[in-house]
Amino acid sequence: MELRLTDLRDGESGIITSIKIGHRRAHREHGRAGRRWGFRRRLEDMGLTPGTRVTVVKSAPFRGPLEVHARGSRLAIGRRMAERIFVEVKR
Amino acid sequence: MTKSRFIVVLAGNANVGKSVIFNHLTGLHQHIGNWPGKTVEKAEGTLHFRGHTIDIIDLPGIYSLSTFSIEELVSREYIAVETPDVVINVVDASVLERNLFFTLQLMELETPMVVALNQVDMAKKKGIEINYKKLEKTLGVPVIPTVATRGTGVYELLQKSVETIEKGGEKPHQMKYGDEIEKRIEGLSEIVKKVHYPYPARWTAIKLLEKDEQVEREIREIDPEILSAAEKSAREIEDIHGHSCSTVITSERYEIAGCIAREVQHIAPPIKPPMRERLHALTTHKIFGYPIMAIALLAIFSSIFAFGDYTSGLLGDLLYGLEPIFESIFGAEIVGKLIWGGVMEGIIAGVTIALPYIIPFYLILYFLEDSGYLSRIAFLLDNVMHKIGLHGKAFIPVMLSLGCNVPGCLGCRIMETERERLLTAFVVTLVPCAATTVIVLGLVGTFVGVQWALALYIINLLIIFLLGRLAFKALPGEPTALIMEMHDYRVPHLQTVLKQTWFRLMEFIKMAFPLIIVGSLLIKLADVTDLLNPIASVLSPMTVTWLGLPAITGIALIFGVLRKELTLIMLATLLGTADFAHVPNFDFGPVQMIVFALVTMLYIPCIATIAALVREFGWKKALFITVFEIVFAILVGGIAFRLLILAQ
Repeated sequence: MELRLTDLRDGESGIITSIKIGHRRAHREHGRAGRRWGFRRRLEDMGLTPGTRVTVVKSAPFRGPLEVHARGSRLAIGRRMAERIFVEVKR
Repeated sequence: MTKSRFIVVLAGNANVGKSVIFNHLTGLHQHIGNWPGKTVEKAEGTLHFRGHTIDIIDLPGIYSLSTFSIEELVSREYIAVETPDVVINVVDASVLERNLFFTLQLMELETPMVVALNQVDMAKKKGIEINYKKLEKTLGVPVIPTVATRGTGVYELLQKSVETIEKGGEKPHQMKYGDEIEKRIEGLSEIVKKVHYPYPARWTAIKLLEKDEQVEREIREIDPEILSAAEKSAREIEDIHGHSCSTVITSERYEIAGCIAREVQHIAPPIKPPMRERLHALTTHKIFGYPIMAIALLAIFSSIFAFGDYTSGLLGDLLYGLEPIFESIFGAEIVGKLIWGGVMEGIIAGVTIALPYIIPFYLILYFLEDSGYLSRIAFLLDNVMHKIGLHGKAFIPVMLSLGCNVPGCLGCRIMETERERLLTAFVVTLVPCAATTVIVLGLVGTFVGVQWALALYIINLLIIFLLGRLAFKALPGEPTALIMEMHDYRVPHLQTVLKQTWFRLMEFIKMAFPLIIVGSLLIKLADVTDLLNPIASVLSPMTVTWLGLPAITGIALIFGVLRKELTLIMLATLLGTADFAHVPNFDFGPVQMIVFALVTMLYIPCIATIAALVREFGWKKALFITVFEIVFAILVGGIAFRLLILAQ
């Protein structure tokens, strides 16, 4: 089933299906709708592209960032970014 | 080859040991400055090898060549436009896939390359063996395994780089994308070839498909029809894949990187999790991570302050001991006063902050950064920093600022976007530095009570939160978010840490000292020409009427521009005693002390900090922050005065 990355349990992994952050085009056409497009690029540049397997190691308390493993390296992702990453999980 | 002066560029991800290699290559023959007009650090060095003079340039550590950060823009522009003779791509062998993603992008820039496969020892510990010969063959680029921290392979790396140049600098292979993309890249680059554009045609075509902002803008000016052709191709790719074209290309690039990595590496993970893994788990633990961090930071701060306080006093005594000598040479007249009170006291002020506080601060900072603990702190504190509109990484400059605002301002470079940098710098200048702490504790803590000193800190914290949030709302642009690699813990490389501290210190001295000395001289000039009292009376509507302070404090506040604790020192000098509570005919009770300390805390980033702001953000923004903080401090001080009178 498809879940947000933040919905995964510690130690669970899934395959990225999409990152729901507006595109630049959307930014131009609808103003604020796509204002985070730069961060989409950033996530992808760090290896979080659709089809990538990510494992959530843990999250910092009080709605802190997530620690994930992807493509052989360890990343910290702010929660608000992670909420926009959707993954396919077998449960 | 007739040319014997070469330019070699070091490029790679952050924390792959690039600066260690840079230090090995250049020794002390290096210069750290900024890229022209950019707040991006540029490290250059020179070395001589086999009769060649080689300029080495260390590019900032980046993960991609897109337009997300200024570092990325600067790097790709440098490689494409300045065309260095060879690019040494430093690759972390223990995170091969991510690093190769960047390698592939460098190859697209079509500059001759050599890959330094660094930290092969760390990779081995993780059970990763890399067949570097195979990697060399796949990439079509020489690959040299290195362990930079021990200097292993660095000579071979240099040798190979020079060899590559001497051979005429072959362009690296170009990796092929999927057919449907490749066809369109080729089509587009045919059109791009016809116009004059500094970047390689194939690269430009790929960037156009990726909808790279800068390339689109520049190509639009040359020939808007290329842009519409690119948009058409991009749309076709989007229709085939169902994702945006830039996503498709990035994915493919990562796929290629992943394929290469899987082909050349053999992984046999160690059975027992190694020490650094357990250390990572402990230091980022949901519960234990925080007390560990608190203890570590507390230990660091208290030792720096203890050391700084002691050494600062010692150095001060030592340097002030020179006064009679100066007096005997230059006399006690105007010239003597200007030289001693202006120039020398300025130097003393600089020395007594730079050496005792800034050196240990930088040393520890680079130790923490190089070891990897700093990124763990950023991870733990991300949501706290979000409350002021920043993210975890901003904790680092904020922490620095508690020692001195100058390194804090310079430390804002670790933030990715210009907006984040400016926001962080603004917050940083509001953080009470060591000098401010001296005033708050020395005045309020001693004469009014420690609980009031604490209250002042809490008020300062609240103001930081409030203004941080306001600035975050007011500044246009994208919001901030943490996306950060947490590299494995490792033992910091002492030499690199020392060198970084050294160059940082030199930077501070070059930037701050002239201003401190000139400022000090100007104030002394006002002093010897008896201008101080008229200035104090000009300021009296502000000091006396609005803030309820004695007029003389106006002079002290002016001195504080040089260095904040001078406000207290000046006050003591002007009054002839440091026992502020018992001066006859001087109305300086608890209320006045609190207001005075509060204003000093907020009123101005000292002159060295202003210099740092100017350097990092230009005159306009520096001036804006300075004026804003002066007005704001006076406003808050007056309100506090009225509230305290009411409460009495």
